[in-house]
Amino acid sequence: MQLLRFLHHLFIPHESNNQKGKILHPSSLTIIAVFLVGFQLLLNVFPRGLPRVLGYAANISPGEVIRLTNAQRAANGLSTVTENANLDSAALAKGNDMLAKGYWAHFAPDGTSPWSFFLSFGYKYQYAGENLARDFSNANDAVNAWMNSPTHRENILNSKYKEIGIGVVEGNLAGVDTTVIVQFFGAPLGNSPSIPIAQAQEQGKSVALKPSIAPKKLATPSLSPEPTIAPVIIRTPTPLPQASPQSISSVFISPFSSTKNLSSAVLGLLLMALSIDIIVIRRKRIARIGGRTLAHIAFLGMILAVILILKAGQII
Amino acid sequence: MLLIGILLAGFAGLTLFSYDRNFQIAVALATGISYVSWGLIHHHIHRDLHFEVFMEYLAVAILGTVIIFSLILQ
Repeated sequence: MQLLRFLHHLFIPHESNNQKGKILHPSSLTIIAVFLVGFQLLLNVFPRGLPRVLGYAANISPGEVIRLTNAQRAANGLSTVTENANLDSAALAKGNDMLAKGYWAHFAPDGTSPWSFFLSFGYKYQYAGENLARDFSNANDAVNAWMNSPTHRENILNSKYKEIGIGVVEGNLAGVDTTVIVQFFGAPLGNSPSIPIAQAQEQGKSVALKPSIAPKKLATPSLSPEPTIAPVIIRTPTPLPQASPQSISSVFISPFSSTKNLSSAVLGLLLMALSIDIIVIRRKRIARIGGRTLAHIAFLGMILAVILILKAGQII
Repeated sequence: MLLIGILLAGFAGLTLFSYDRNFQIAVALATGISYVSWGLIHHHIHRDLHFEVFMEYLAVAILGTVIIFSLILQ
């Protein structure tokens, strides 16, 4: 009985709630907003207290990413890019480096450029490019996200690239289990073939290699070979520390999905309350001071539509 | 009609530019501010603008913006 009275007070316009459901009062809306902010803070604190609880489950294969990339190129009248083992290894190394050092960027905190991974695995490039993605659950969403971004799309549809390497690594980044996709594009320098991995490692031990080209921008390739710059000692490629074996199946909470579900529930509840409000007010012909209920329904309905469409995943 | 335009622009900005987080943040803020502004102007024209009305639009806009931010800032 008390519960019914409480619900009545919360949703039904009445004298006791000033002719507007209590949940629709500015004070209640503010409390809901504060609750949502608190929930986000909790999600950020969670990883420190209980690691390996938050994460994004994914099923992404490098082959699928390459297939989808070539499908996009074919659809735009371009030749396909061929998978290069050296680039695969380089992309995997970059992914592992990001997890090991805990960064989400093209350049590592210690200044390591993506191009150094190319060179470390013996790939002398004329053109090079990199796309990164994380938190996607499948390859299709990741490729679509890249295609929807002008600079990343430019990389995928660049006719100068001939070869591709994909690295997919799963691990913990900033306290959240995730899947990182590294997409390397390249065009070998001149006619010199890419050096096989074993040979490159051997050379790296004793020879000072000169980088063939210094890319100017991250997301766009260098357009022409530049003069050889000062010799750079290429360190022997050492195996990067592997991220501790992660079991994605043990992840319980996806931060994005949790937030999305909670937000959808809150908005659903508010839209229901607004609908009840507008029906009761019109039936009883109650005059009151307040905003336009239909306008609130339209605004919150738009927010709900946006959050239902938004998908998890980031690209840089 | 103006409100529909504001909401459609907000919806388009948030969904079509999902790859540009900064732009999404700007669109979310702009939509919230535009909504409150629309409410003020609408009620002023209808001569029923009160402080409680302003607070109501502000609370709804803040709630909507917080929800959007909680997702795009993940």
